[in-house]
Amino acid sequence: MAEIKVMKDILGENDAVAAENQKLFTEKGIYVLNLMGSPGSGKTSILEKTMEKLKDKLRMAVVEGDLFTSKDADRIEKHHVPVIQINTVGGCHLDAKMVQNVLPRLDLDNLDLLIVENVGNLVCPAEFAVGEDEKGVILSITEGDDKPMKYPLMFKEASVVVLNKVDILPYCNFDLKGAEEDIDTLNPGVKIIEASCTKDTGVDAWCEWLQDRVAAKKQLAAK
Amino acid sequence: MCAECGCGQLNGNTRLQFNVNGYTDENAKAVEKELLGLPGVLYVHIHAHEGETTIDYSPAKTKLTDILKVFMKHSLEADL
Repeated sequence: MAEIKVMKDILGENDAVAAENQKLFTEKGIYVLNLMGSPGSGKTSILEKTMEKLKDKLRMAVVEGDLFTSKDADRIEKHHVPVIQINTVGGCHLDAKMVQNVLPRLDLDNLDLLIVENVGNLVCPAEFAVGEDEKGVILSITEGDDKPMKYPLMFKEASVVVLNKVDILPYCNFDLKGAEEDIDTLNPGVKIIEASCTKDTGVDAWCEWLQDRVAAKKQLAAK
Repeated sequence: MCAECGCGQLNGNTRLQFNVNGYTDENAKAVEKELLGLPGVLYVHIHAHEGETTIDYSPAKTKLTDILKVFMKHSLEADL
């Protein structure tokens, strides 16, 4: 007997919910960044730096995605910025429905910037839109310069790539120029920022990039 | 992409293998770079001497003609 495999179009369903989220964000004039990267790449660290520098300039909130615990949300909360933790309980990425479910807990009428810190993972988060305007990737020096070519989708989808922990370059066999060339090959012209959260390097460039994006979204919403 | 969880089982990527005549070491590198720069192209592997060219891409994001244009730009003949 022939076997007929019935597969659910999970990506199509997700895209429909992501479009609903995006419509709402556009109505409210909120710029949304889907921040991705491996566990330990420094996603939360760069967010903490972002809070320090921008919380008095922009009205921002964070949605934190993790398999378990509220450790990252606890770190963000110390900066007195609204944060919502989503625990995927084993799920390897956030999806649009998970984000949609927590939106009523945010004051969307008083937000300029929403950063969705996705689950630490270089593969699956790139495939699931959550309603973001753009995606960003954090790649740390300790992960190795081969990662862009090994995990190309995330780097192709990103509008900004932060190479984090550049302060420890002298102690690692990381070919910075080669990695940047690979990223530019995969995604010609993508914005690449070299940063170190511990040394406060490149964080201003990152914050300027974010502010520009928020301003552009406000202009778009005003039309 | 993620076979473990089945996240990407419907990601729709296609793998094509071309036989390409006319590669040099230089133009093979240029072709590889240009193909990887196309929106849906995730992987390119070129055997310059044999002409075997493997491309993993998403037809939803890049048309086959876009790939063929890269070969044509470098005056290369490509057959599937």
